[in-house]
Amino acid sequence: MKIDAAQRLVARSVKAGHGALSEYDSKRLLAAYGVPVTRERLVHSAKDARAAADRLGYPVVLKGCAHDLLHKTEAGLVMVGLGSGKEVADGFRTLKARAGADFSGGFLVQEMVKGDRELMIGMTRDEQFGPSVVFGLGGIFTEVLEDVVFRLAPLKLSDAREMMTEIRAAKILGSVRGMARVDRALLAHAIVAVGRAAAENPDIAEIDINPLIVAGSRPIAVDGLVILKPAGSN
Amino acid sequence: MAQKDLKRFFAPRSVAVIGASANKGRPGRVVIENMRANGYKGDIHPVNPRGGKLLGLRVFKTIKDLPSGIDLAIVILPAQATPQAVRDCAARNIGSIVLVAGGFAEVDHAGEDLQQELAQASRETGVRVLGPNTAGHISTPADFTSSFFPLGEIPRGGISYVAQTGNFTGAMMKHIMSAENYGVARCIGLGNTVDIDETDVFEFLATDRHTKAIFFYLESLRRPREFIEIAKQVTPKKPVIVLKGGATADGAKAALSHTASMGSDDRILDGALRQAGVVRIDEFSHLFLAAKAVAPMPVPAGNRVGFVSPSGAFIVHISDLCRQRFNLSFPDLMPRTMDRLREISPPFIRLSNPVDIFPSATVHGMEFAYREAMEAVLTDPNVDAVVSIMILTRELGMPSLDFIPELAKKHPKKPIYISFSGDHACNEEAKAFLEPRGVPTFPLIEDAFKALDILAQARKSLKK
Repeated sequence: MKIDAAQRLVARSVKAGHGALSEYDSKRLLAAYGVPVTRERLVHSAKDARAAADRLGYPVVLKGCAHDLLHKTEAGLVMVGLGSGKEVADGFRTLKARAGADFSGGFLVQEMVKGDRELMIGMTRDEQFGPSVVFGLGGIFTEVLEDVVFRLAPLKLSDAREMMTEIRAAKILGSVRGMARVDRALLAHAIVAVGRAAAENPDIAEIDINPLIVAGSRPIAVDGLVILKPAGSN
Repeated sequence: MAQKDLKRFFAPRSVAVIGASANKGRPGRVVIENMRANGYKGDIHPVNPRGGKLLGLRVFKTIKDLPSGIDLAIVILPAQATPQAVRDCAARNIGSIVLVAGGFAEVDHAGEDLQQELAQASRETGVRVLGPNTAGHISTPADFTSSFFPLGEIPRGGISYVAQTGNFTGAMMKHIMSAENYGVARCIGLGNTVDIDETDVFEFLATDRHTKAIFFYLESLRRPREFIEIAKQVTPKKPVIVLKGGATADGAKAALSHTASMGSDDRILDGALRQAGVVRIDEFSHLFLAAKAVAPMPVPAGNRVGFVSPSGAFIVHISDLCRQRFNLSFPDLMPRTMDRLREISPPFIRLSNPVDIFPSATVHGMEFAYREAMEAVLTDPNVDAVVSIMILTRELGMPSLDFIPELAKKHPKKPIYISFSGDHACNEEAKAFLEPRGVPTFPLIEDAFKALDILAQARKSLKK
């Protein structure tokens, strides 16, 4: 997706009264601005799910995906480590049943990213300071440790580089315990991209990329959420 | 004439004191005495309905009676009378007003209404208003102060303070004047901020050639984005150091994402200040500590310290502190520095940086040992700043300290800070000798390093 298409997607969604973009759309938008995201396909049938998984390579992750589905895990709509076409097809039927008849969304077949380090990037609009980008530890540690730092958007690459040194757990970005040093240039670009997405899309209220998993040395957005402002609130 | 910038506010050509008083100790008299003590050369026009003479000056009965061409009025009237006074001054084309009175929004609802009225008067007339509820401002390059706190002559220097409190130009200034030996350029207590705010003053100080470093005490930012934008322009040129009080634990509101729930006011402010190259401090006393360090000395070129200590205990403790809390390092010294240190030390001593100077001092005496060691370390290209702790007691005999200002003069690019251990009276004596000669002293050994830590942070944004 190109940036202008991403901007149209936001406008369309706001007009439709959606409170957020689905994970799929969120990531397409973030990818348009330069955030590395998982390879994934949006599917609506078990057959398509299986075909998508064959193309991506096993194992895969299967997730419910809709603009009004903010808490997939809590709703039981995430399955990980599906290792064969049969598991994917069975998984699809299970999730579809769980989602219920009212579920209007689709399902995401996603490459399963392996990495021991989980980071996060986000954006919020502060009443006083305006769009502010956050970077820090991701996964469950986001809530537990709140080891994060903020910068105002738009950011320079040097701002993003500084953020990496300012979290308490800065060492986690280095080559610890045999893990590769995180590709800081790539990470800096991703942080800057989130600020740019916020600056260029005033209808975006909040962004959460969590976890951003470090696969080898490369950060990849495994989940993404773009929250929209209510229509007519600008 | 309404003025956009604060040039005349900080350098008024003539002033009026509305509510001047003949009574000793009253603000309406002290403010005039303060101006005179600071050699203010403009005309001073007291206003009081009684008229007559005050301190040899003609007293005008009303604002209407005042001569034309007054740049600034200091209004020392009860709160209720101030909105009208602002309008009367505006009618006389007085561009700036300092409002001393308290009893506004900080007190009650009636006061809030009154403050609204004041803000409106300021907005409508375009007159720049400082306060209300402030002890005023100080501008030593213009030989001027509007402070009503008995200060006398205020020492001149390159430090400027902007405080979101009324009394910075009162009791806190008195503290600086009596406890320290550095001078100030512009100081301002913002008070209730109906008009002139921290960002206005920041903008003025940004290009003020008399201001070498800017210190803020803030509780809130009225125009945060603008403040940060100015900070970005200023921090490459001069250190900007901020103490921000009133940090809320969580400004987090109902939020859908983790990001928004973590976005407390203080975290975002912290990030914004860092982004702009501002050094954020967390102790009030550091507003004075960092100021006294930077006032007479250059900002260190980096964070590498040459430390001359008379005690292994200090070396251990300060090394711990620098590792754990301060971003300072003790670099290896060049071979020729080490050779010189060995020459002046007894042969059995193992030398490194920090330098244990005690053995040399016992053999050669304090003055020789410290002078030679400091000279060697100051000359070392690996060292950005030198801290010496001296042992001063009457029993050992006070060494001559002349060599320290001499070294400072000889090495003008590297700051030298002196700390003490020993007889307190000797420390005071050394402080009284060294500080007027441009060498800051720190009676508590940690303070010298804390000050360096703050300024080494400021250095990161400064263009070399």
